[in-house]
Amino acid sequence: MIEIKDLTKIFEDFTALDGVDLEIKDGEFVSLVGPSGSGKSTLMRLMTRELTPTSGEVIIDGINIADLSVSEIPLLRRKIGTIFQDFKLLSNKNAFENVAFALEVSGAEAEEIQEDVPKVLNIVGLSDKVKNFPHQMSGGERQRLAIARALIHRPRILLADEPTGNLDMLNSYDVVKLLMKINEFGTTVILATHNREIVNTVGQRVISMEKGKVIRDQNQQGKYIL
Amino acid sequence: MKKAFKRIFKTGWLNFKRNRYLSMGTTGIMTLVLLLFSGLLVLNYVSGQIVTGLEEKVDISIYFKGDASEAQIIEVKQSLEANPEVALVKYTSKDKALEEFKERHAGDALIQQSLAELEDNPLQASLNIKANDSNQYTSIVSFIEGNKFRPIIDKINFYENETVINRVQGISKGIGNWGLIVTIILSFVAVMVTFNTIRLTIYNQKNEIEIMRLVGGSNWHIKAPYLIEGAFYGVFATIIALVIFYPALWFISSKVGILLPGISLIGYFASNIYQFVPLILFLGVLLGVISSWIAIRRFLKI
Repeated sequence: MIEIKDLTKIFEDFTALDGVDLEIKDGEFVSLVGPSGSGKSTLMRLMTRELTPTSGEVIIDGINIADLSVSEIPLLRRKIGTIFQDFKLLSNKNAFENVAFALEVSGAEAEEIQEDVPKVLNIVGLSDKVKNFPHQMSGGERQRLAIARALIHRPRILLADEPTGNLDMLNSYDVVKLLMKINEFGTTVILATHNREIVNTVGQRVISMEKGKVIRDQNQQGKYIL
Repeated sequence: MKKAFKRIFKTGWLNFKRNRYLSMGTTGIMTLVLLLFSGLLVLNYVSGQIVTGLEEKVDISIYFKGDASEAQIIEVKQSLEANPEVALVKYTSKDKALEEFKERHAGDALIQQSLAELEDNPLQASLNIKANDSNQYTSIVSFIEGNKFRPIIDKINFYENETVINRVQGISKGIGNWGLIVTIILSFVAVMVTFNTIRLTIYNQKNEIEIMRLVGGSNWHIKAPYLIEGAFYGVFATIIALVIFYPALWFISSKVGILLPGISLIGYFASNIYQFVPLILFLGVLLGVISSWIAIRRFLKI
């Protein structure tokens, strides 16, 4: 459960978020829509504590994440998977290594890596591309690889920031279908996007933002309306 | 755990290896610092040896006037021996002095001839005093100066040696202080250079660091490779410094040996190799790790 209370973020002279209140229950699929600069990415970065709020609180599973110590932040980030428009894959590592890297840097044992990485690559449908490098993969495959990496810690929440921004329609659908499948297994998914078609296909809760404020929150069968 | 440590170590090594030219410069400046520091140790040892050598030669000689009686001299001797600062007092009578003088100049006919022509013994009776500690000579001298026998004493011979000792100590202290200042300044430069090298590594690996952060990499896993990289500069600087230091020492050791017999530089630093090498290594690694620590604190946000 994510509770956001009166969250404000001001960058020097620019107010990115202006008193946002939200509550997202476990297992929800939330689409976050709004024009560029409406505060979608800022909201996500506040949830992973990449940014700290100017005022207000982000409470995840009852814990105000502003109270976390520096050594606890990685644990929060293992609970929250993230994917981005630009994939953020390591170009000098192949698919297996890209996913394994996430486990390695969190101190996982070799056996765990050997066991979990193929499983998660199988979930995203990349079992046959284990040895491929990112440049040998299509955009959709790269994003699926990024999703595999985000899933490796079995996160409770998955944040997807414009994941289809660089993909054509077909690949976009693939990625969104995958996100919906992940959501069905119980992971909360928050999808920030510009893509009207996709939002309308998902047809679940839609939160519209503009100029740092939530202007509309459609709980069921939401549509992309601006 | 073992694998994690291996990864951290490997990444640190790769960071070091990849920026080859930058690493060379960084290692170079650090080598310079370590060599300077080693030079200071050499200087310290040499001046210490010179001073000890001189101190061993230091003594006070009191020469008595011709009319001083032997009983008076013995009394002076006894009062000096009662002084706790005095280690040894040796009495040389007039006759003994003459004997020694003749012996010393046995081959010199002219001196023998002139001595034979003299009716009186021209030499003076003397007391030769050794102190427990070289710092105590001044107070012994003032003890003698204030003694009631002062009138029968002709001269106290001490001041010449004192000046030499003071000068040696002064020079070595001067060189030492300047050396230390230069070492500190250069250490600072080395830290700045290493710091910038690591800053560049961090900058080049912005993507990796960002990914590590967002996948929940532990802080230790993110930071440690840069500390290892810093330590590598120290380790390589130590190796290079030692490879230069010992041959150079061997080279100057023989020259110093001619100037100052009894001092073996190479002997000293070879027998203390197990103290010297870890000290230099510790210093090098410390400089490297401090530099990367500053860079991490400054540029690596978690």
